[in-house]
Amino acid sequence: MVWTGHLLVLAFSLVGGAGALGVLLKGAAPPLRVALPHLFPFATMSLAVDGLSAFFLLVIALVAAAAALYGPAYLDAHAKSPVVQTVSLGLFVACMAIVCCAADAMTFLLAWEGMTLASYVLVVIDMQSEENVRAGLLYLIMAHAGTAAILVAFLVLASHVSHAEAFDFTALRAAARDLDPTTRTTVFMLALAGFGAKAGVVPLHVWLPKAHPAAPSHASALMSGVMLKVAIYGILRFGFDLLLPAEGPLPASWGWTVLVIGTVSAVIGVLLALQQHELKRLLAFSSVENVGIILIGAGLAMLLCRGRGSQELATLALAAALLHALNHAAFKGLLFLGAGSVIHRTGIRNIDDLGGLARRMPWTAWLFLLGSVAIAALPPLNGFASEWMTFQALLLGGARLGGASGLLAGLAASMLALTGGLAAACFAKAFGVTFLGRTRSLQAERATESPAPMIAGMVLLGAACVGLGLAPGWALRLLDAPTAELSGIAASAVVTSQGPLVLSAGGGAEGLHATSISLTAVAAVFALLAAVAWIIRGWPRRAPSRLAPTWTCGMTPTSRFDYTGTAFAKPLRLIFAAVYRPSREIVKDVGSSPYVLRMLGYSGEVVDLAETVVYARFKRWVTVGAQTIRTYSTGRIHGYIGFVLATLVLALLLFAGARP
Amino acid sequence: MRIAQIALQTLLVLLLGPLVTGFIQKLKARLQCRAGASLWQPYRDLAKLLRKGTVQSDTASPFFRAVPVLVLAAIATAATLVPVLWAPAGSAHPRLGDAILLLALFALARFLLAIGALDAGGAFGGMGASREMTVGLLVEPALMMAVFSVGVAGGTTDLVDLAARRGAVEALAWQAPDLLAFFAVLILTIAETGRIPVDNPDTHLELTMLHEGMLLEHSGPGLACIALATHTKQLVILALVAALFFPLGLSPDAAPGHVALALAAFGAKVLALAVFLAVVESSYAKLRFFRVPQFLGLGLVCAFLALALRVL
Repeated sequence: MVWTGHLLVLAFSLVGGAGALGVLLKGAAPPLRVALPHLFPFATMSLAVDGLSAFFLLVIALVAAAAALYGPAYLDAHAKSPVVQTVSLGLFVACMAIVCCAADAMTFLLAWEGMTLASYVLVVIDMQSEENVRAGLLYLIMAHAGTAAILVAFLVLASHVSHAEAFDFTALRAAARDLDPTTRTTVFMLALAGFGAKAGVVPLHVWLPKAHPAAPSHASALMSGVMLKVAIYGILRFGFDLLLPAEGPLPASWGWTVLVIGTVSAVIGVLLALQQHELKRLLAFSSVENVGIILIGAGLAMLLCRGRGSQELATLALAAALLHALNHAAFKGLLFLGAGSVIHRTGIRNIDDLGGLARRMPWTAWLFLLGSVAIAALPPLNGFASEWMTFQALLLGGARLGGASGLLAGLAASMLALTGGLAAACFAKAFGVTFLGRTRSLQAERATESPAPMIAGMVLLGAACVGLGLAPGWALRLLDAPTAELSGIAASAVVTSQGPLVLSAGGGAEGLHATSISLTAVAAVFALLAAVAWIIRGWPRRAPSRLAPTWTCGMTPTSRFDYTGTAFAKPLRLIFAAVYRPSREIVKDVGSSPYVLRMLGYSGEVVDLAETVVYARFKRWVTVGAQTIRTYSTGRIHGYIGFVLATLVLALLLFAGARP
Repeated sequence: MRIAQIALQTLLVLLLGPLVTGFIQKLKARLQCRAGASLWQPYRDLAKLLRKGTVQSDTASPFFRAVPVLVLAAIATAATLVPVLWAPAGSAHPRLGDAILLLALFALARFLLAIGALDAGGAFGGMGASREMTVGLLVEPALMMAVFSVGVAGGTTDLVDLAARRGAVEALAWQAPDLLAFFAVLILTIAETGRIPVDNPDTHLELTMLHEGMLLEHSGPGLACIALATHTKQLVILALVAALFFPLGLSPDAAPGHVALALAAFGAKVLALAVFLAVVESSYAKLRFFRVPQFLGLGLVCAFLALALRVL
């Protein structure tokens, strides 16, 4: 049953991926449309696949295929109702696919809700853990608050459309063309808040690092790698398609908002990721960072879109955002599967208790390293390709926009550079402490390599990381259809105009010329030089090569000498103390003499400011409100009926009177 | 043709790197009224290390052996991206990479070295890795800003184009942002080359080491690779500063006269910057590690102002 379910998901994602590729590579064509059965009297339902949908379908298919390969072997060990897990996984993937293909608001919202509920089941599958149940509840609340905002956005749009086809995207699009600017911006901000809650932008991210790690690892990979992208899809669909004004540029407030929240999410996300010692939670925080990077590209594209002569730059920014969405799906999926593989074999989530796994689980370790290099935006892998494009877009766009917007772009570029450095430190820690050095626990000592199907899932995503980096021409070919739809120019005409192996950024203001790099050539040079260096290093010589214990100042080396993740991140904890507000507690147990220490306990933690400042305050208000209501909440049904009636009368008086 | 030029100048950087280190050491010694080791001492050290055997930590994974080679390859690849002698104008030359890629290759080398240090499983390696990554991530954004500031003025982040264009058009037509960016880059150069007051390349007291701390477990030819990478990185950074702010004298073609002039100009620029490093290193004490962010913050602010002035 479990195997069949996962094979079905695999088949489904292969077919879906192939279909999406077909749509993307065919070039300009009218979108495919499929009408769905007429379920509701007030709305017709249908699916349509255009370039943007097809691109996000491809993202879903990539990670879903890897997760389906990986899942059955993983579930063998974590056999908490595997059938329920398989069914929810299938539903989850299907709902995400339908969200991306929906051609009307009704289908969109139903699938959106299905996606939330299916992933909720995956989060709380381990009902014994109190923490998971709380994480699930928080997730459910945040997700529904977001859905409510999206629903209102749709309803505001739908109120401008005739009754018969009230929810169809085509009708909504037509209605949005002559909205007044204030309503348009309000609708966009509502949608942004709704999708932002799902995408985990700061400060709406608090649920994400709790809920994502709670799910089984391949479901975490889907949640972090794909579900966040579905939210990005929503933002792009609203910003560039549904709410597009008839003419003129998009309102500057949209681009500003998206760029600012993107920058803040990127920096805060990675700063918090750096201080985590639970591998999957670290990865979840890093997803907040990457969503931020995607939004930086998207926000810049909004600022530049339809500006005078800046359409090419808008395309560059948009292509950077979309490519980063695909890249992040690949490497975050890979890293979550790698983390799952470690947990599968050791049962330990805290990296400070692991260590030394590279010699015990070589495949997992090297694939995790590949993912770490990719996510730290180091060349020549795919993470660097999309960050380079984002940098170029920010630089050229900043110079083009000038003034306050240009300064904002410059600030975003500096924060992006900081993010890259922090991500490198974060993943040096994550990989180094988990896989290198000595083992710090018995479980890690006894670990063995994961079974082949799990490795296969990771290899698939690892290959994507390498391929998307070294052959950017092919990757950008996939972006042609969505960018052509959203900004009018195909991505490969801008970014790979000088051949499929060369990334170039041009189209700036007068006097700004194209900059080109070729990651493929650089990777070839790197490989060549490494080969030469390897030969020189390994040149036969008489001097011997031997193994010896690491020098530990004359003491017997034990695993206590290894640097832990907590220690690795300590300098940054002190430097960024304003953000972290670190606290620590040291318990000393001294015997008869104060100089003889019998036991030393250390515990320290950093806080998520959003959680302690914003949410704690909000929670307090809610509690106070609830206490106040409590006096009136007597438990008698008559009283409640009275309240309902009073509310109804009040509502009728207020709103019915407005009709002429 | 262009490929031969790139190969030649990369070889030049690889060969001259140790000499620059030797020169700085010598000058420092003279400033401190010592005779100092010979200019060629770094070459002798490299030759000695290459002849030696290796001792590898028994806790290290197979990856540990590859670290020095990959680090050297990353730095040498970065060396191919910076114009040293030739800067042909126009877009005829093959595209390799720009300044962003160059800084990213430095970051790659740092990342590999850091996880290599964690692999050996000693506290000093971990401490060095942690501190080096911390300093690195503070330097990187500031350096990127300074590069962007020049990039906006020159219209590209491609170093060869940038040098060719700025060298040809306005010889030393510096504007205020250039001054700010140059000041920032001088501060950051000290950090990126691992010199006092940020790091001390001569120290062998474990607790004060940043970069050296990560190298403790490397030995023999592996250590030679890393030492060569360190020398090369220093020269690449000096060449980067020269290409960004003094793109004079670079040869546009293969004419022997131009090349000789370019060689002389390159020598003069590197000499001036090396004197700067040596003088700073002799006149200051090493900063406490948690003072370093403030020192680098000055660079960050200047670099950001430089970019802001360009963009506004």
